[in-house]
Amino acid sequence: MTAPGLSIRGLTKSFGGVRALDGVDLTVPMGQVHALLGHNGAGKSTLIKCLGGAYPPDAGTIEVGGVSYARLSPRESIAAGVAIIFQTLSVVDALTVAENIFLGQEWTRYGRIDRRAQEEVAAGLLERVAAKCSPRDRVGELPMAQRQLVEIAKALSRSASVLVLDEPTAALSGTEADALAERVEDLRTQGLAIVYVTHLLSEVERLADEVTVLRDGRVAHHAPMAGRTRRELVESITGGPLESTPRRARGLGRGHAPPGGEGPTAEAPDRPPGRERLAAPLGGEGSSAGAVDRPSGRECPPAAHGGDGSTADAADRPPGRERPPAPPRLTVHGLRGPGFGPVGLTVAEGERVGLYGLIGSGRTRILETLYGRRPASAGTVRVGDRTVTPARPAEALAAGIALVPADRRAQALFPSLSAQDNALLPSVRPLARYGVRALGAERRVFDAVATAVGLRPARPGLPAGAFSGGNQQKLVLGRWTNEARHVDVLLLDEPTQGVDVGARQEIHRVVSSLAAERGTAVLFASSDPEEIVALADRCLIVAGGQVVGELSGAGLTEQALLSAVHDTVPAEGAA
Amino acid sequence: MTTADPALTRPRVLVTGGLTAVRHHPLIAVLAAMVLAFQLSTGSFLNPANLRGIATDAATLAIVAVPLALLVISGYLDLSVGSTLALGGLVAGWLAGHGQSPVVAVLGALAAGAAVGAVNGALCCYFGLSAFIVTLGMLTAVRGLAQQLFPLPLSGFGPGFAWLGGSRIAGIAAPVVIAAVVLAAGALFLALTPAGRHVFAIGVNREAAHLSGISVRRTPFALFVVTGVAAALAGAIKASVLDSVVAGTSGAGFELTVLTAVLVGGVALTGGSGSILGVLLGVLFLGGLQNGLTLLNVPTFWQQMAQGTALVAGAALAYFAPRAAR
Repeated sequence: MTAPGLSIRGLTKSFGGVRALDGVDLTVPMGQVHALLGHNGAGKSTLIKCLGGAYPPDAGTIEVGGVSYARLSPRESIAAGVAIIFQTLSVVDALTVAENIFLGQEWTRYGRIDRRAQEEVAAGLLERVAAKCSPRDRVGELPMAQRQLVEIAKALSRSASVLVLDEPTAALSGTEADALAERVEDLRTQGLAIVYVTHLLSEVERLADEVTVLRDGRVAHHAPMAGRTRRELVESITGGPLESTPRRARGLGRGHAPPGGEGPTAEAPDRPPGRERLAAPLGGEGSSAGAVDRPSGRECPPAAHGGDGSTADAADRPPGRERPPAPPRLTVHGLRGPGFGPVGLTVAEGERVGLYGLIGSGRTRILETLYGRRPASAGTVRVGDRTVTPARPAEALAAGIALVPADRRAQALFPSLSAQDNALLPSVRPLARYGVRALGAERRVFDAVATAVGLRPARPGLPAGAFSGGNQQKLVLGRWTNEARHVDVLLLDEPTQGVDVGARQEIHRVVSSLAAERGTAVLFASSDPEEIVALADRCLIVAGGQVVGELSGAGLTEQALLSAVHDTVPAEGAA
Repeated sequence: MTTADPALTRPRVLVTGGLTAVRHHPLIAVLAAMVLAFQLSTGSFLNPANLRGIATDAATLAIVAVPLALLVISGYLDLSVGSTLALGGLVAGWLAGHGQSPVVAVLGALAAGAAVGAVNGALCCYFGLSAFIVTLGMLTAVRGLAQQLFPLPLSGFGPGFAWLGGSRIAGIAAPVVIAAVVLAAGALFLALTPAGRHVFAIGVNREAAHLSGISVRRTPFALFVVTGVAAALAGAIKASVLDSVVAGTSGAGFELTVLTAVLVGGVALTGGSGSILGVLLGVLFLGGLQNGLTLLNVPTFWQQMAQGTALVAGAALAYFAPRAAR
């Protein structure tokens, strides 16, 4: 083994009682590619941010190039030789390639920037990463793949020894991704220690020398890549067939049932697709059937490991759910828009349908088009039997369609306004009488919705920005679930992104009870298979802007979701 | 805004309530100190006659400051109000001077103001142009239009029109009554109407407001129109008080004074926060400052320096006070 370029020992980081990282070890020798895998929320981003100096770790050490640090500032991190290429690149569009590479470390001559020297060196660096752009090109005019290479060249200019790539191919087309893989191989040959974060197992197989899988902030799996199969990796990402998704894993039907599980497999098909989980949300008081199916159901660990899932399932299944499928509440035909389509789907009354796909697959565009935020170029959208083609969110809302957007800060939250304003903003007008706000009714509705979503603290006057991410999301959710609004179709985009485990469960509970009690049709997008399995009755696989598959009932498992997406290579130009 | 809490009648609560008010509006303390200082140095600052003078001066400021504050809270800005004020005064004066009834004269002014506001609003809200650039351009363009339409000074508008600026309602000057109505309407609008909530929401996060189904164009557009109307009304009042208007100089620099009052009153230029109580305090502060310095025979340029310093000091206060309070 060569000298370690990066060695992390016992790294621990908590956020308000939630352990995001719990004693994580990671060693990457120079000249190796180390793949880092795991769900969203498994701790990958926290690890990267500790490495980049954005978060101070609570415990543990980070050793770069033989020097050990208890914590790093962003500046120290760069000086130590760590370079992180985030998904959202940090290049400045308005500057040239050379200016970007030397940003903050400009070469000067007699007090002026020495453009020519910078451009000469930049040309050399661009050659090292085989970029097809000139140092004088404006970065804003380059395709995404080239911008990424510019950022890597910038890292090389700072003589980085540790390169972290955070889902680098998420925004790239298939050929661009291939080219990037070649660059990563080159850089490995040049002796860099590379940490490669990805969801795509094909990339791991091609590039990785070693693999570390994070789950719930811990190292769940660490081994050399040689000899690993995809199945082993998927199982360690999801916690294996026996650990967290006991019954569903057996119904997978892909020829690798775990030991001792033939009986339940036979039983699986006659279960109505994905209905059993409605038992818990109906009453809102986690019955055992609900907990079994909820991999994140940490509140009820005894039930989750009780092993008697099938019996509980049959007993707790609400009789009302045995009737034929409910009428469709949302019907979409041939919907097209920039970057996606044609998309057709239906969501029945009270049904929860997931949209699963990687970043850039078109999930968000589909939801935003249904909500009228983006124009549709073709297709029809029906709510019940009314045809609606929302051109603006206000029109979608009038038709009974509401959206909880993915980017809470940019698209949903009013940080300086009160919790009540945030939760009730679209309800103030419907509640008003003769154009005057009904202050008493507003407070009553707020109190009710705060209780329903489990807002903490339930203080109406506190600015939304003072709440935790999870409670902020509850406020946004409360906007459409309070009693003053009638929502037929609830669209959610990454409903629990950046939300702690407890709030995540509460959000799932609120959404489920909305579907069960009010018959709201729920269509939600998530890049987290665990969330899809926990929340969806049925899941559509989205890739390249189209629905490419569907999983439901016993076939809807984390393994099946991961395989469905990982076997899909991003379509050319889909980015 | 203060609430009508019966507990506040108890003195101790009154004191803590007062302290809370001062913490939220540090300007109250500054205003009190200024009044005290002017009274001690002039001896006549608090005379009823002088206070009436301040109120009348501050009235035109308040009438425009309220809708402008709403516009700023929703994330926009109107720099053209000085020229709109001149245009409103000229239209009202011209109509009154040509034998029209005072009502027609004022309505004519309001229509002119609404037209200017509609142009501002359409360009800023529906075409998405920068409010700073649009209204800066309109500041010059409307001034030019006013001078083109009314090249000669207008005066002698008749006793009927003089009623607007000179009459008293229950012993209070008409402009002060109008200003009080505008202030009350602004406060009630913000506190008690759905649109008042929407104004804050649009100012804090326009995209989120849009995605919440709020009409993020119509509301600010309406505020631009109301601001134009208010500026023209202020112009008509000024023309009535002075019984003359000059196209080239009427309301020159008014846009900066009124914006200063709004910002000193704690309305954030970035949008999303502010109160009508703050605007009232800002208007009283600027009106009192000008009056007191005039009583002390301080030359005009020193007064301008004081006004400018107050704005910067107010901004610094708004920047540091919330941090200290935490």
